[in-house]
This record gives sequence, C-alpha cells and structure tokens, in this order.
Amino acid sequence: MAEPYLSVRGLVKRFGPFTALAGVDLDVYPGEVHALLGDNGAGKSTLIKTLAGVHQPTEGQILIEGKPTEFRSPRDASAAGIGTVYQDLALNQLLSVTRNFFMGRELISPLGTMRTKEMNEIAHNEMLKIGIDFSDPTQAVGTMSGGQRQTLAIARAIYFGAKVLILDEPTSALGQKQQMGVLKTIKRVRQRGDIAIIFITHNEIHSRLVGDRFTFLALGKVIGAGASEEISDTEMRRLMSGGAEMGDLKQELASI
Amino acid sequence: MSDRSESDRLKQEGWLGRTLRRPEIGSFIVMVVIIVALAMASEGKAFNALGLKNNVAIISQLGIIATGAALLMIAGEFDLSIGPMIAFAGMSIAIMMKWGLPFGLGEATPFLAFLITLCMTLAFGWLIGNIIVRSGLSSFIVTLAFWFFLRGLTEVCFRLINQNTNVSGLPDYKETSWFAEQMGGEVFGWFYDAWFWIGTKVGAGLEFTADMSRDAKIDLITQLGFLNINRKMEQWVTGFDARLLWFIIIAGVAWFVLNRTQLGNWIYATGDNQDSARANGVPVDQVKIGLFMFSAFCATIFATCQVFDTNSSDAAKGMFKELEAIAIAVVGGILMTGGFGTILGVIFGAVTFGLVANAVFFIPWIDGSWFRVFVGTVLLAAVFANERIRKRITGGI
Repeated sequence: MAEPYLSVRGLVKRFGPFTALAGVDLDVYPGEVHALLGDNGAGKSTLIKTLAGVHQPTEGQILIEGKPTEFRSPRDASAAGIGTVYQDLALNQLLSVTRNFFMGRELISPLGTMRTKEMNEIAHNEMLKIGIDFSDPTQAVGTMSGGQRQTLAIARAIYFGAKVLILDEPTSALGQKQQMGVLKTIKRVRQRGDIAIIFITHNEIHSRLVGDRFTFLALGKVIGAGASEEISDTEMRRLMSGGAEMGDLKQELASI
Repeated sequence: MSDRSESDRLKQEGWLGRTLRRPEIGSFIVMVVIIVALAMASEGKAFNALGLKNNVAIISQLGIIATGAALLMIAGEFDLSIGPMIAFAGMSIAIMMKWGLPFGLGEATPFLAFLITLCMTLAFGWLIGNIIVRSGLSSFIVTLAFWFFLRGLTEVCFRLINQNTNVSGLPDYKETSWFAEQMGGEVFGWFYDAWFWIGTKVGAGLEFTADMSRDAKIDLITQLGFLNINRKMEQWVTGFDARLLWFIIIAGVAWFVLNRTQLGNWIYATGDNQDSARANGVPVDQVKIGLFMFSAFCATIFATCQVFDTNSSDAAKGMFKELEAIAIAVVGGILMTGGFGTILGVIFGAVTFGLVANAVFFIPWIDGSWFRVFVGTVLLAAVFANERIRKRITGGI
C-alpha cells in the first residue's frame, strides 16, 4: 500500500466548551475514494473545515505526505494541495463558467489583461476530461444543472492542483440522474490515480458504489473504519445510524 | 458524452436573440425613444449645435458619477455620499483658489488645489470602505451617515473660512492654467468645425429656383437649420465641455477593467456572492475599499469640472446627485443585488437621464418637474426588468 497523502492524527477541535471533534484519525490515499459518513452533528463539517484551513485544530496533527503541516488559512490548505468543494460550491451564478473557473486565479498577460480565449479553452477542456462537454463556457453558471455545477467545481479544484479533493455531500439536493453523473465524475477522477478523494455523504448506496475506504463519525469520534470489503452492509447501516443496532431502533420506534 | 444533451438544453440563439438578451437592451430602447421624442417635441432644437453641447454636458456630468456608482453596485455595495462628496470637493477647491493653500503655504494653483482635494476625498472613500468591510454594516447606513457628515462639514468649512456658503466670481483660470482648461474648458472643437464646414457647403449648394416664394426659401433654410448654416448668425459653439472627455476616459477605463482584467472578474465575483469569491481567494475587502475610493474620485472629477467651468462653488452643489447616479445605474441594467451589469448600459442610462433633465430648456411648454415623474416611472420599470433578467440567468422561479 502506498503512503497516505494526507493523514490526520488525534485531531481535537473545541469551540469554547463544545467539543466538535474528540480525537479523529484518518488516512487518505491517492487514487482512492475515502467515504466519510456520519449523522448530522457527527463532526463531518468541522473535520473538513479543519482540513480546508478554515478552522485551526485545538490538538492533534495534520500530515501531508508524512510531514506535519499547519494551515493558518484556506489559502495554506489549497497551496498544500487540498481542494474543497463545498455544498454551496462557491460558485457565482451570474458569472460565466470561465469567470467562475478562474475566479481569484485568472490568467493574465504581461499587460494585466485576462487571457480570455485561453481561459475559455482551458475551462472547456478541463470539464470535458471529467465528463461534461460544455459547449459554451461564456454562459452563466445559473443556467447549469446542479450536477454540472458540481463538475465545474471539481474540475476547477483539480486544475488548480488539488491532490486531495474534499467533496461535501456532492450528491445531496440533486435528482437521481444527476447524482449518477456526479458519481461518474468521482470515478473518473479516481481513475487518474494521483488524487485522493474524501467523499462526504449521508447516502449509504452512493458510498458503497464509489467508496474504497470508509470512516464513520459519531459525536466527534471515529466509531468505525475500514476498506470497503471489510465492512458488511449490516455493519455499515449500524455505523451510519451512529452505532445503534437496527434492532434497538426498531424497538424504540415500536414503543412510541 | 451522456451529459451533452443536458448542457445543450440551453437554446443556441442567433445574433438577434443574443442581442435581445443583452443586459443593456432595455436601457438602449428607452434611450432611442427619448432621443426621437425629444427631437420631435423640440423641433430639432435639442440637437442643434448649442442643444447638443448642452445635452452632452449634462450627460457627461451624470455619466461620470454614474460610472463610479455602477462599479460599486456591481460589487454589491452602494454609495449615498456621492452628492455631498461633490459639494465637499467643490468647496475645497474653490476655497483654496480664493484663500490660498492651507497652513499659509501660499497661493494655490488649480492643479495643486485639485490634488490636495483628491487626497482628502480618496481618504474619505477609503474610510467609508474600511468601515463597511470591517464592521459588516450595510453600505446604506454608513454612506447615509457620511451624507450628513460631509454636507455638514462642507457648510462648516465654508462659513469658517469664507464667512459665506458660496464662493463666486473667481478669476477664469482656464485662461492661465492648462489643468483648469482640461477640466472646465472645451474639447473636440474639430467636431463643430466639421459640422459648420459641412453646413456652409450645404448652404452654399442650396438651389433657390427662380419661381420660389420668399417663404419657400425660408422653409428650405429652416429645414436645414440644425446644421447651423450660418454659424455667426445663429450661435457660436466652439466645442463640447471638457467633461465629455472625462466621461469617455472614465467610462472607457471602467469598461476595460470590467471586461478585460482580473480586477473586473473580482468586482463581479465580489458582488455576486462574496463568500464564494473569498473562498476562491478574491481579496473582497480590498476590491470594495478600492471602489469606494473610485466613487469618491468620480465625484471629485465632477466637482473639479464644475468649479473650473463656472468659476464658483457653493454648499448646495451635488444635491440629489447620489440618487441620480444610482438611478442611472439601475436603469442601465445594474442589479441592486450586485454581480451583474455593463458599462454600456450605464452610458445609455446617462444619455436618457441627461436628455430628460434638459428637456425643459428645449420644450418650453413642459414643466421641469416632469423630469422627476419620468425618472420615478422609468426607475420602477427598470427594476422590474432587471429582476426578470436576474431570474432568467439564475434559473430562479
């Protein structure tokens, strides 16, 4: 097994008296989809925000290729190769696909002008690589479907050098067909072999379809982890509901 | 590709369809209607040599501040302090010209007075911008506060230094200062030279047939009247106000920045969704502060042109100008919510507003206050139209 690109050791994050993460370990390997599962409030969001440099860990370490690293800002994290695709995608609906693709990192000529034509071509080609042939990169993002927006955000993160791609519930709020489109995109990125994907989801089926490795969070702790083939469906369902047995839940429900 | 069909659900349109969907199409149509209506109602007087000069003067004046207001609105903020900033800058320049530089540093030259004033107004713009980005307060409240602050400050300074809230009868600096000439003088004299040259040629070529009555001859001349066949007889116009050049420069730079530069992308991104812009590394705060300073710069240019054109200034200058600038930007297709709009639309809006504001001079039977009635109506219509555009683009319901 190759070295993990990103490792997290004993990560603790407290907000005042509230402990959001109580010692999390995580290893993410290139060319793998690492599904991060957990109920609402399990700490998934805090974990990815810490990895993305939005929050600073209270205790514990983040290692990039084995070297302890500190992220003081989202910029640090993205310089270290961590590309985060948030649920809201950080896209501007009124702007064109190209303007969004290069937002904040425009290609400029020595005279300070944007190399618009080149930018259009790159935006088109990068999206084509992971599965969308978008004919007109000058059209507004507002006209795209949810799945296409995901693809745009993912293509953008990869183009700007992401080695770890964090996808925050990319399939939620999408229709069935578009969900499949996003899963295909994830598979295509995985195929490249050099990018590690952290796939955050609520959806058991989706994580089964593309996940190579699973980590389950509940109340800020890792309650289960392992490769896909090591975890049975029953076990998975138990872990997803925060560690409670299905039987217990049935009993609880029946008693109401 | 399986997703191909989905992406191409957006209909490919022809040239006409694309043109009709451009954000400035509404303001363009309104502008054409106004031009035609005004030309007819004023019997061509609005666009004869003098009429054109006067109209262009007010169009440029409004266009200068509207451009500043528009860029700021595209970045999602707006500035109510434009009018008082004009009054403050006008006061500052006029008082320096009359009473000399501050701290007894001697006589002021027009350029020096402008430079010192610009430093002050840019500092105010910087301050406004910083307060807004640091506090997260709405720009409406902060710039409203500066509306009162600057109006009051202008009057206080006038009374303290000048004992009177107006400075008038300054010498005509245009004759002695190159800078004053560039701000308050005239430009594009060649345009009128050409105009009158053509007029003379056409006039000379008029064919009066022997059987024409005297009235018929006069009719023929009047029909060509807007060409001012005899320049000396009608009026003597030698060029446009220098403001026109400044309007062209400012609008040109704004257009270039928005469409061709990285900064332009940052301005759009900031106004559309500042959180996502920030997440992508756009320096949102700096963009906003810079644009508040640009708005102050436009107000200063407005005031400088005014002072050196009229050789006077008073505390009531720039009244309502902030509202007119915002109205022009909105009519020009800029969304109140930011992130969308073009400079071309703002130019169309400025032309429309300038013509209507001036219409009373060319149509004697019209009450000047219809201007505001018109503005109110068009503004409301524009907001509805813009809202439709926004929904169409964002796919909203």
